[in-house]
Amino acid sequence: MIDAMDKAAGLTPGNPVFEARRLRPEFVQGTELCRLSVLTPQHGLGLETGLRIALARRIAALNADEILIADYDAQLAEHDQSGHLLALSQGAGDLDEPLATIARHVDLVTSTPSKAAASDIARLTEAGLDIPQIVALSELIAFVNFQTRVATGLRLMRAS
Amino acid sequence: MISSVRLKPLTWHPHIAPVELSAATPEQLDAMKVTPSAKKVSEYVRTLAHDPESCLARTVLFNAIMYVEGGLPRPDRELGALGASMVNGCRYCAVVHARQHAHLTKSDALVTALYLGKPEMLGERDAAIYHFASRLSATPSQATQDDIATLRAVGMDDIEIIDLIHAIAIFGWANRLMHVLGHAQSATSLPNHQPGT
Repeated sequence: MIDAMDKAAGLTPGNPVFEARRLRPEFVQGTELCRLSVLTPQHGLGLETGLRIALARRIAALNADEILIADYDAQLAEHDQSGHLLALSQGAGDLDEPLATIARHVDLVTSTPSKAAASDIARLTEAGLDIPQIVALSELIAFVNFQTRVATGLRLMRAS
Repeated sequence: MISSVRLKPLTWHPHIAPVELSAATPEQLDAMKVTPSAKKVSEYVRTLAHDPESCLARTVLFNAIMYVEGGLPRPDRELGALGASMVNGCRYCAVVHARQHAHLTKSDALVTALYLGKPEMLGERDAAIYHFASRLSATPSQATQDDIATLRAVGMDDIEIIDLIHAIAIFGWANRLMHVLGHAQSATSLPNHQPGT
């Protein structure tokens, strides 16, 4: 069975990297459960799945991950039929609050995590996010940065 | 003669109020229980327990990546974690995993070289791992097929490289929690000047 990471890395059964990945079932299953926990959690804590997918697409773009960008674009089309999250997903800066503050934070933590400071968390609070939402947002940002790195590494293995 | 770098552990404090155990929901308690040190639940875990679903899933995956049997030796996973943490600027994680590396290898040599900014002092295998960790951690990634070829050339097989990719990537995750949601205190690197003999 092909999972989301195989899809992102372009792996299919019979490929040596696909087979080697199956020697670590803990990683295969664990990564998929993590993906579900940040994108489609049972308790969304007030961050809807459409918003989560839009932010994931924005993070994939900052990582220049064309395959994940296309994948999140397709998911967003299903979850955001009105298109009101399209600009956010595509990296726009001139957004309504709290999306503007959320987008700024996503960009900062993805591209320059070393520059994040206490004041950046305070901005999220001022924009109206509660503590569980700040934690959920942090896990989402961090997961997509994990996902793109695993996918990148596996793609390089496949191509070498 | 280069004096060796010994790192003291840092303490971490969150920017936001962690979950109090007395007020935790059953789901939050369940999410916090998975950590190896169940006696006292750290501020870090209690902070992340605000979102118990991701906290539980990530903890299980993190422990598998860092501690699963076989494959890549533990010190190499710590080196991947250290290389990522240096790029991502997470001082707390860098110190934890530098100390783990020194402990597991019973040597400060690698940590000294990296903290003094002299990666050219690393051996061939360590250098291959460190450079791959640095390049894969950049945003966007700068890792190339040459990096994979270099890892294979120093003797790493597919499963070891998969282990390494995950050890680096999970710190692309952990660093973005630890450094963003809190701050590390009392950073002291103690240069231990040994008299020449």
